[in-house]
Amino acid sequence: MIVETMTREERLRATVKLERVDRVPVVPLIGQFALRQHRMSSLPSGAGTSVDWRRILDVFHANYDELGGYDARYVAGVAWPRSSWRVNGPRGGKRVTPGEGGIPKDFSVQWEEREIMTTEDYDTIIDKGWNGFLEQQIPRVTSQSIEQEDAAQKALLKTYLQDVREWNQRGVPVMCGALVISCEMTLSLARTLPRFSMDIHRFPDKVQAALEAMVPDFISNAIADIQESGIPWVNISLERGSGSYFNLKTYERFFFPQLKRIVEALTARGLICVLHMDTNWTLNLPYLKHLPRAMCICELDGTSDIFKAKEILHGHMCIMGDVPASLLSLGTPDEVCEYCEKLVDVVGKDGGFILSSGCEVPIDAKFENVRAMIDTAKNHTAPVSKKDG
Amino acid sequence: MSELAEALANLEEDKVKELIKKELEGSNGALSILDELRKGMDIVGTRYKKGEYFLSELIVSGEIFKESMQTIEPALKQSAPPGKMPKVVIGTVKGDIHNIGKDIVATLLKGAGFEVYDLGIDVPPQAFVDKLVETKAGVLGMSGLLTPSFDSMKATVEAVKEAGLRDKVKIIIGGGVVTKLVQTHTGADAFTDDALEGVEAIKRFTKG
Repeated sequence: MIVETMTREERLRATVKLERVDRVPVVPLIGQFALRQHRMSSLPSGAGTSVDWRRILDVFHANYDELGGYDARYVAGVAWPRSSWRVNGPRGGKRVTPGEGGIPKDFSVQWEEREIMTTEDYDTIIDKGWNGFLEQQIPRVTSQSIEQEDAAQKALLKTYLQDVREWNQRGVPVMCGALVISCEMTLSLARTLPRFSMDIHRFPDKVQAALEAMVPDFISNAIADIQESGIPWVNISLERGSGSYFNLKTYERFFFPQLKRIVEALTARGLICVLHMDTNWTLNLPYLKHLPRAMCICELDGTSDIFKAKEILHGHMCIMGDVPASLLSLGTPDEVCEYCEKLVDVVGKDGGFILSSGCEVPIDAKFENVRAMIDTAKNHTAPVSKKDG
Repeated sequence: MSELAEALANLEEDKVKELIKKELEGSNGALSILDELRKGMDIVGTRYKKGEYFLSELIVSGEIFKESMQTIEPALKQSAPPGKMPKVVIGTVKGDIHNIGKDIVATLLKGAGFEVYDLGIDVPPQAFVDKLVETKAGVLGMSGLLTPSFDSMKATVEAVKEAGLRDKVKIIIGGGVVTKLVQTHTGADAFTDDALEGVEAIKRFTKG
C-alpha cells in the first residue's frame, strides 16, 4: 500500500491542477451497483415521500466501506442537484422500471427516449432562451406546473445536500455541485437522435441559433445551483456531440463553441468542470486544448482512446477513466488489475489522472472487480519522469 | 452513377424526392428506382468507411431512404418480385428497450438489399427463435446497451442452439458496451459497436 500523505480533497484537487500527488486518486461512479450489492432492486423514482432516502444513503456508505473506501463520491447519493436537466432528459421520456412491464428485475432503470420537442420549439428557444422555453415545456411534458416542478427539484436538492454533508463529515469530497447536460445533448434527447440529426441537416441555421440561445441560461442555471450546493464542481454531460455521431465540421460549428462558452464562464468563477464524455471522442480531443488549463477533467468511458488522450492533453487537462463496463461485469480481478495498472503507468505518468469506471459501474459488476480497481490505485505507483525528480 | 444514386449519396433530400417523382412518371419502374437508391446507400457506406461520413450522415441517408421507400412502395408492390434477398432477424434483447442503434442498423440493412424482420425491443429468446424458424433467416442480429443484456444475448444463443438452428444461423451482437469479451461470453459469431461495421459483417455472413 502506498503511504498516503494527502487528504482525499487535496489529492483530488492537486490532480486536477496537474500537480504532484502521493498516489493516483480513484473515484468510481457508483449508483445502482451499490444498491444491487445490498439486494435493492433498482433506483427509486421521483422525489416522493415513499422513497427511503435514508436507507439508500446508508447502503452507499456501507458499500463504500466494503470496498475499502475511495477518494470521492462522483455524486452524493441518487439525487442530483437541480439543474437545467430537469426536463430535457428523463423527465420527458418514459421511465422503465425493472420488474415492471415484463422487464426483468435484475435490469437497470432505463428511459425510453421519445420526441418531447417539436421543430417549432427551436423558435421559442431562440426567442425566449432555454428557461423561457422550459416554462411552457414543463407543463406540456410532465403534467406538472412550473411551481410543482420547482418544489420537486428543491426537495431533491435538500436530500442531496444532506447526503453531501454526511460524506464530507467522513472526509469524502463530492464531485458534483451542479449538473449541465450539454446544449446538443439536451436537444438530441428532446428531439431524439434521428430527428436532431435531420434537423441539423434540414435547417442548420435555426439549430445553431437555438444552441447559441441556450448558453446564457445554462451558465446561469449552473451558477445558481452551485450557489445553493456550495460545491465548486460542475458535471457537464456530453456524449451526443462526439465524433461517434457528427463530423468535425459540425462539431466546430454547432457544438464546441457552446461548450467553450459554458466552460470559460464557469472556470472564470473558479469552478472545476468535469467533462463526462461517453462514446468515442478520440477525434475531438485536440479541441479540449482550447479550454482553460488545469480547470477541467476529461472523463472517458472506455470507448475513446484514453492513451491518445494522454498524448494530447498531458500538461493541459486531467484525464479520468476508463475501466470498461464489460470488463467490470465479465472480467476477472486479475484482468481488471492488469488494465488498471496499465492506466496508472501510462495515463498516470507524471500526474493528472483519476482512475475510474468508464461511466457508471454497471449494476451487475462483480464486487471483486470493483475492489480490484480501487486497490490498484492504492497500491500501484504512477511513474514520474526523471526531469520532474 | 445515376443522378438519383448520387443525390442520395450527397444527402440531397429534395432532389431525391423530385427525381423519384420524375422516374415514377416516366419509364423507370419502382425496381429500377430501388436499385438506384441502394447504389446511393452503398456510396454512403463507402464514404463512412473512408471517414468522410459519420453516424449522422448514416442516419440522414437512412431517413431519406425510408421516405423514398414509402413513396415507391405502392408501385413496388405491382412490380415483379425483386428476387431472393438474404434475410436477417433483428431486435433488442429481453429486458433492454434501447432502439436507436438497432433501428439504424435495420435501415442500413434494408438499404443494402436485405429482407429485415425487426422484432423491436425487449425481445424474448423464444421470439427470436420463432421468427428464425418462420422466415428461415440465416442471420440473427441482437442489440443491447446495458451489461445485463449480455445474459439475454447468451440465453438467446442458447435458445437458438436448443432449437437446432445454430449451424444454420450466424449471430452478431451489437451495442455501445459490447466487446470481444461479450462475444465470447454470449457465444455469438461476431460483435460490433459500429452500425455500418455490423452491416458489413452481415454481408460477409451471407456471402458465405
